Amino acid sequence: MDRLIYTAVSGMSDSMVRERVIASNMANTSTIGFKAEKLYTTPITLKGPALEARAMADGQVKSADMSAGNITQTGRKLDIALLGDAMMAVQSADGTESYTRRGDLTVSPTGVLENGDGRPVVGNGGPITVPLDAQITIGPDGMVLVANPETPNLPPQPTDRIKLASPSGTTTAKGLDGLFRVVGGGVLPADENARVIAGSLEQSNVNPSEVLTQMIQAQRLYDIRTKLIATAKEVDQSGTSLLRISGS
Amino acid sequence: MPSTALQVARTGLDAQDTRMRVIANNLANVSTTAFKRDRANFATLAYQDMRVAGQASSTQTNYATGLNLGTGVGVQSTTRVDEQGTLNSTTNALDLAISGNGYFQILLPTGQLSYTRAGNFTLSAEGQLVTSQGYVVQPAITIPNGASSITIAKDGTVSAMLPGTTAATQVGQITIASFVNPAALQASGDNLYAETLASGPAQIGAPGTAGRGDISQGYLEGSNVNIVTELVDMIECQRAYEINSKMISAVDDMLKNANQTL
Repeated sequence: MDRLIYTAVSGMSDSMVRERVIASNMANTSTIGFKAEKLYTTPITLKGPALEARAMADGQVKSADMSAGNITQTGRKLDIALLGDAMMAVQSADGTESYTRRGDLTVSPTGVLENGDGRPVVGNGGPITVPLDAQITIGPDGMVLVANPETPNLPPQPTDRIKLASPSGTTTAKGLDGLFRVVGGGVLPADENARVIAGSLEQSNVNPSEVLTQMIQAQRLYDIRTKLIATAKEVDQSGTSLLRISGS
Repeated sequence: MPSTALQVARTGLDAQDTRMRVIANNLANVSTTAFKRDRANFATLAYQDMRVAGQASSTQTNYATGLNLGTGVGVQSTTRVDEQGTLNSTTNALDLAISGNGYFQILLPTGQLSYTRAGNFTLSAEGQLVTSQGYVVQPAITIPNGASSITIAKDGTVSAMLPGTTAATQVGQITIASFVNPAALQASGDNLYAETLASGPAQIGAPGTAGRGDISQGYLEGSNVNIVTELVDMIECQRAYEINSKMISAVDDMLKNANQTL
């Protein structure tokens, strides 16, 4: 049988991976600050003495769609939505600085400011801690303002500023924990002009109609690639019947 | 691999289904005294590492990026949105509402302390201030037999006219508890919340001190559920469920096609 089917199978399996990526994006239509993943398929040409006709399809999740999600108002003081392309610095499980757009913040019982993933929010000097009994508000520049409830007439005091980083000019990639990191290590520079909106959250940037179209496209592509195998089977069968001694 | 795309889509259905339960519970409690609405928080499930970034692609080069496939979504937690509910006048002297932060402390029959914002209190047969379930408000406040004109001030001072006197006498002091992270209090039904490790210990003090709210006598705090918001969320949730179920039928069609064609 022709090697065509192996090439077609690599395509079918690529379509399935594509469908899986789409399914994962679709499942995350309600995840706060989620950035849809993009799958790229590249042809891998098999080098050799023969004619270079066999190009296997190889898919990879290379990057995420960084377009902004819709911002919805929640009325919760510690919910922040990031404007523009700014990213919020958080400390990942391995202690390194990572970036996220997920801004549903809470104060842990030890006074550490954390986001909804339980990752400590990083300020100018590492993770931000706040006094336990204080009332916390977040300014438009990411400044964490702390009001002492004992002295309600005094204005809230700034403690630390959430590090809002600018990813422009640097390649960032999403890791296995869903957080963004600088490719090859390192940290992003803080962006002094970055702004946040308190009392709002950025929703997932998955566009349902776009995702549905991608889904149908991947589905049809799979069908076509299946057809290719069926055709290869027919060609093979007719070839075999030609060789068969007639009349036997 | 094929079954994985189905499984990923299934996680989306499961999560939207859970979110619908949260919305249904919010809507069901639209008239519950001092109910705080919950919000379902979604988080991506683990990523499956198919190819590690930096892995050698040839003797000289490395893959610049990895192939990380998401395995879907799950409902990670529910956040209680502690927005103040509207205060509704009831003119009942024993109806109390907290405007601002804080909770009343309630002693359960098990001896544990519990916390609530629902201040629809009554008097027990012994004259103690109790919840409608009969749990005693802490610190215990006893209104002497025959006392009239019970007044509860903003700072929690309880005074009453005792029989045979002409001036009001202070009979107790209501204190309220505040928490570092009130969103982490565990809802235990009956409008009651229990302290958890994540909420931090209760910090008890008089109303109006250290950021605690004031007490309004003759008022009850309404539910903070906004029907319109919940209905919009419900429709959004329903649509997300629909597109996830379309995904399942699409993958099913693909497999069916492969099955029939090959």
